[in-house]
Amino acid sequence: MRAFRRGLIVVFVAAVAGAVVRLRGKGGVPPTSGGWRELEAPDFR
Amino acid sequence: MSRVLLVGAGAVGGRAARQLVETPGVEELLVVDARPKRAGDVAALMGDRATTVDWQPGTPIPEGVDVVACAVPAGDDVTIVRDALEAGVPCASATDDTTAIQSLLELDAVAAERGVPVVVGAGLAPGLSDVLVRHAADGLDTVDDVNVARWGAAGEASASTVRVALADRGAELRDGRVVALVRRGGEELIWFPNPVDARGCEPVSNGLELLLQTVPELARGTIRFARAEKPGWTFPRRADPVNEWGAIRVEVWGTRGPVREPVVYGAIERTEIATGTVLALTAVALAGALPGLVERRPGVHGLGRVVVPRAFLAELARRGVKVAVFEGVPVA
Repeated sequence: MRAFRRGLIVVFVAAVAGAVVRLRGKGGVPPTSGGWRELEAPDFR
Repeated sequence: MSRVLLVGAGAVGGRAARQLVETPGVEELLVVDARPKRAGDVAALMGDRATTVDWQPGTPIPEGVDVVACAVPAGDDVTIVRDALEAGVPCASATDDTTAIQSLLELDAVAAERGVPVVVGAGLAPGLSDVLVRHAADGLDTVDDVNVARWGAAGEASASTVRVALADRGAELRDGRVVALVRRGGEELIWFPNPVDARGCEPVSNGLELLLQTVPELARGTIRFARAEKPGWTFPRRADPVNEWGAIRVEVWGTRGPVREPVVYGAIERTEIATGTVLALTAVALAGALPGLVERRPGVHGLGRVVVPRAFLAELARRGVKVAVFEGVPVA
């Protein structure tokens, strides 16, 4: 029973830690500066 | 006027058929598929210039055919190319499978001896990616590092090829040689043009030999594929555009004068449309219906070795497959 409770506590703590890391993590910002420009006909001459 | 035999009327073949019948120099399109009804449906949609023909791989090419275009599952095109060589007819294949590409390249001596030009890997990547590498390389004095990435698969056969490629360890080019990687993995986040954006891509061996043909003696080169599979479950608004948008990103490092710099090109289009258009253009160029796009050199070649990049890209753009250049500081 004690081992089971410990297991539950470990799972709970891991879930909380994972949620905190996921919520605080930064994302969605491209690691680039600049952008894409479509090549037009003059680029092919 | 040219007569084209299109083998395969699936996702890629159907789009290639549309491009072929819309090419003024193509007089007649013969459509063949393992499923005759599918070939008939495609031919019917393409109008008077398209028809089906009763032909099986492994039998003589029909009389009067000027070029063969293959849009078939991996491996099937080896037999078809052999048939084309036997008949002395030029051939273009859209295969992106490593084993099929290697098998086709082994036919180089036979093709050269018979004076027949064959282009393999005439799709998105390999294919358009090699055209972009060549275009970038033409603007640089030297090239030492090329990194190609692809997102998307054109139909079920192509998705299967991607799965097989990613299950393998993969390989890369080092000092002009294809070197197998020690283990799988090495995923990198690659930034494609919108709306695909960032995707994790892993190294594969598909098309490395063709990349090496494009830039001989290349010091380092990689080709990466993204997993083109729909996840089992996802939030509705987070569904990936699997098998819809396809994208490639080509990063070529080299020197221009004393400065070492990258040239980054990208393309985005529905995967089947891009692949079918590249295949169709290659085929009609080999037939002579659109001269000046591809050098009709006897032997088995990747598209990057024989293409005239500017003319090819201009014709692609006229048909709606647009290429973009990244202007800024690329990181991945």
